[in-house]
Amino acid sequence: MSVQYTPVLWNRNKLVYDAVLLIAVALYLYVFIRYAPAFEDVTKPIDGATLRMRAFGSCAFLMLTVILCIGPLARLDRRFLPLLYNRRHFGVLTAGIAAVHANYVLGWYYNFSPTDKYVALLSSNTSYGQILGFPFEALGIGALLILFVLAATSHDFWLSFLGAPLWKALHMSIYIAYAFVVLHVALGALQGPGDPILTSLVTASVVLVCGLHFATGRMEAARERGEATAKASLQNAGWVVAGEVDEIDEDCAKVVTLDDDERVAIFKYDGKLSAITNACAHQNGPLGEGKVLWGCITCPWHGYQYNLADGRAPEPFTEKISTYRLKLIGSTVLLDPKALPPGTHVEPVRLGEGA
Amino acid sequence: MQTAEFLIELGRYYLYAGGIVTALFLVIGIDRIEPSANGSYAFRPLLIPGICLIWPLVLYRWAVLERTKGHKP
Repeated sequence: MSVQYTPVLWNRNKLVYDAVLLIAVALYLYVFIRYAPAFEDVTKPIDGATLRMRAFGSCAFLMLTVILCIGPLARLDRRFLPLLYNRRHFGVLTAGIAAVHANYVLGWYYNFSPTDKYVALLSSNTSYGQILGFPFEALGIGALLILFVLAATSHDFWLSFLGAPLWKALHMSIYIAYAFVVLHVALGALQGPGDPILTSLVTASVVLVCGLHFATGRMEAARERGEATAKASLQNAGWVVAGEVDEIDEDCAKVVTLDDDERVAIFKYDGKLSAITNACAHQNGPLGEGKVLWGCITCPWHGYQYNLADGRAPEPFTEKISTYRLKLIGSTVLLDPKALPPGTHVEPVRLGEGA
Repeated sequence: MQTAEFLIELGRYYLYAGGIVTALFLVIGIDRIEPSANGSYAFRPLLIPGICLIWPLVLYRWAVLERTKGHKP
């Protein structure tokens, strides 16, 4: 690998993303701190520190909700993909906002404790056996620790160092953090005097996150069923499974041997797939081992060239080779084993447009 | 109170150990197992919180990558 790591990889789109994010967060905090007191019980006015504590806490909760909605939304509708683009910065900012909330809590409730404020936080309520009066702070601490770990391991280095499966498994703990936060709010703030706005907010968040994940799960299950049906019907019609598209390197071929010992080379190039016979019309050279240049394959033996889409040598040459039809079902490449007459144009399969 | 104090102490020593692992990894380990980090120094401070928090996992991956390094093509 030759690309060197940089602290933060910014480009124009990411800067716009971050700017919009920061403005939205600042606006939310301003509106909350400015207007929330108007909705409070006038007989129990709240102090500034508590107000800021709630502003940052609810902001982190909403941000976490949005983060969890971005993935399923982008899968349901590609127009949401730009939101996915820089989600890691969103996550880091969420951890920061949650930390400010925790800092206000520590500063307001435990600053003047005779014991260490962290010890006081953990020991002030230890009634873990009851629902009402449950030490909901512990759930907030758990969520905050997870958010810290996820934010701290969001750099590209971590994905490479830990490996994709481990990194992904680690980052799936965002769902545990969300569950902790929901319980933290439900067993904490929602246990106080009735607050219809907060109750509605938490309910809407849970319904939205669960609903979107459920809808995405159904959609993907339906798509997988559709792909399996399409694959089975093509196989019934005599098509053969040539392999997975990821098995073919860019500008290279995968050579498939058919039942009649005919060899077919399936090429991946310029975001497309095309299949031609593996045998050069000149002296049966192995075209699958050749080099792709401008949509043409060059035979490694004597340099004969053929256009991959129609198997014809570029003019003024007249050699022609057989082409084959391909289909992409999900990520599986299927091949029609019936060779088409030499020089027959076959529209290449465009990657990303599978059935 | 005693449990809380114990947990805080445990957390403190966990982070101390994390600090030692961080120093070793950033000075010795990272250049041995991550070619893209060679010559890149500005991003390394960003790794400090992550290593301190998940240092047992860092040690495990470091060991795995050291073992498999010789087997890479």
